[in-house]
Amino acid sequence: MTALLDRPAAPAPPLRRDRRRWGWGLAAAALVGWSLTGTLVFGGDALNPAGSAVLGRFAGAALSPALDAAFLSVLATATLVTVAYAALGAGLAVLLGALGAPLVSRTTWGRRRSGWWLARGALALPRGLHEAVWALLLLNVLGLDPWVGVLAIGLPYGAVTAKVFADLLDEAPRGPYEALLATGAGRLPAALYGLLPAAAGGLLSYAFYRLECAVRSAAVLGLIGAGGLGYQLSLSFASLRWPQVWTAVYALALLCLAADAAGRAVRRRAGAPRSGGDVHRRDPVLTGAVAGSVALVAWSWWYLALSPATLVSARTRDDLGFVLAAAWPPDASAGLLADIGARSVETVQMSVLAIAVAVAGAALLAGLAARPAGTASAARRLVGALVRVLLLLLRAVPPPVWALVLLFVLLPGVLPGALALGVYTLGVLGRLAAEVTEEADPRPRAALRALGARPAGAWLFGVLPQAAGPVLALALYRWEVAIRDTVLVGLLGAGGLGALLASRMAAFDWPAVATVLAAIVVLTFVVDLLSDRARSALR
Amino acid sequence: MGASGAGKSTLLAVANGSVPPTAGTVAVLGEDPTTLRGPALRRLRARVGTVHQHLELAGQLRVVHNVNAGRLASWSAARAAWSLVRPQGVDDAVAALDRVGLADRVYDRTDRLSGGQRQRVAVARVLLQGPELVLADEPASALDPVLADRVLALLGEPAARGGALVASLHDPLLALRHCDRVVGLAAGRVVLDAPATTLSAADLTDFYGTPA
Repeated sequence: MTALLDRPAAPAPPLRRDRRRWGWGLAAAALVGWSLTGTLVFGGDALNPAGSAVLGRFAGAALSPALDAAFLSVLATATLVTVAYAALGAGLAVLLGALGAPLVSRTTWGRRRSGWWLARGALALPRGLHEAVWALLLLNVLGLDPWVGVLAIGLPYGAVTAKVFADLLDEAPRGPYEALLATGAGRLPAALYGLLPAAAGGLLSYAFYRLECAVRSAAVLGLIGAGGLGYQLSLSFASLRWPQVWTAVYALALLCLAADAAGRAVRRRAGAPRSGGDVHRRDPVLTGAVAGSVALVAWSWWYLALSPATLVSARTRDDLGFVLAAAWPPDASAGLLADIGARSVETVQMSVLAIAVAVAGAALLAGLAARPAGTASAARRLVGALVRVLLLLLRAVPPPVWALVLLFVLLPGVLPGALALGVYTLGVLGRLAAEVTEEADPRPRAALRALGARPAGAWLFGVLPQAAGPVLALALYRWEVAIRDTVLVGLLGAGGLGALLASRMAAFDWPAVATVLAAIVVLTFVVDLLSDRARSALR
Repeated sequence: MGASGAGKSTLLAVANGSVPPTAGTVAVLGEDPTTLRGPALRRLRARVGTVHQHLELAGQLRVVHNVNAGRLASWSAARAAWSLVRPQGVDDAVAALDRVGLADRVYDRTDRLSGGQRQRVAVARVLLQGPELVLADEPASALDPVLADRVLALLGEPAARGGALVASLHDPLLALRHCDRVVGLAAGRVVLDAPATTLSAADLTDFYGTPA
């Protein structure tokens, strides 16, 4: 009938792997294998059998948290302090972000690429250090002052916010802005009228996201002595009052969940375009949220009795000058550098294992956690609800608390840190993976079921191909977050660069502290770069 | 045949057991899919191959996997998983693809293919599945006339071996050339049922022009 019919059978072309993806995949597998051997084979003893009795007592107290009025009122005050730190920290971050965004946006620099690169590079230092590291440094300069908590959140968050705000402005449609420039408007008015309206929803939504994250950070900062809920938790922990610890953990989890839910509700309003109708009428929820946040910042300022005079006092200047002078030049002795090298390896292994645990867990649980598209049996829905509650609990407890618990039964080192981070990241990644699965097109899977495929086969060929790319990209992004958090759990004794930093700081060995800080910044920068490259290979 | 919304796709979905009938019973190859469960249902479904209107291929997979998916009924979960790493039974998949003229695209990503090429991948999947009953929902909508003839001939092979092909088509000439019997649907009811030999293209064009 046609040439098509008569053509001789073509031989199958050889299977050609996508070299870029295959390479990244092999490298990732090698990295996980190397991290595993580093922890399990050469790590020596990891278990601490003596701790299991304590763990038992600790776990036993879970259902009988301390609920006496005295402790509850202490806890309520601590919660207010945490909220105040979060509000002021996020407020400062948004302020710094708004002021800094024009300095780091492509729109400002135009073709002067080197200036843009320098401005972006300057953000790497505040961004690369975890809030907890900032808090420890600031404690040494400001002493026990509420500014420590506020600045520890505000400075790194401000740098991230400036970058994201700049990206949002750069990504806004250019047409209106350029039209205004063409009419002779100045660059600032043109940006106000041409760029800001298009980017406003994204900016507002991101500001609330920062507030949400700040609550979590403020709670965690307490663990290293900055006051608030986390501080109460660590006090109760140190005095072995397990029922009190549990009350604090529950309060902390509830606070984080409340921030999560409120933040998501507001962001959904800010992110969704207004549907028709009267555009002049403001969204009452958004207006209320903005006004409420401003009022919250003002109240927090009063509640923490923040005094700008502290920042410019002679004592602060002296302390800052002393620390800077003592830290220069950084310690570059071979012994310290070797130590830093070994601890960096631990830090990387910890973060890689954490992500591996989270990805494996998320892959297993995502299918169950996703709400089934059509009708489902009662048992299936019950399992789904249970898995979702489990994931919620995993991410409601901050990683350092997980680390403290795991340190009952595991000796300090890579393993407890990796597991603590892995468990927490699983809570986050599991939910995201379930959302990706829910959004996947159900038809390919249904078609495979219709031709008689087993459930597993239909999932492998119908759902997995759609979900794998987005979930891996999310996992790589969480790796960037995890490498920062490894420093945090390290500060609390889980090993890695964080532990080295804590010990050098306790000894007031400022030259060594400077070198370790530089190593942390470089390491986070390299991980960001790798993760970014790997994600672009996934696209 | 029937106008858009007449119930052609629903009929085919009921026939392959993805949609339960709201009333009455359904018999597919002598069995009722609504009464079967688990492996028995899978065995029946393996004997029914479907070319879906929207193709329902996984665009992110290579063509070979989408074709191999036709064999999932007989593959264990482990083999299915391994095949995603190292494609299994490539020769058969290539042979099926060769019959639709796509053997050279076996390792391309499916979403890089054109609409017509993807339609032929869906046909290759059914060829590899080797069912007794073929259900085809607009299998030739994105194909040129020559390829459309070729694809319908391939889908009709099980019918020649004693099975059946049920296709929903919008092209009357195609229906008359490849089918023994033409059933017209309107608003979910059968309004025309006649051997193809007794009908002319004009009859079918009239049928489209005057929805009952």
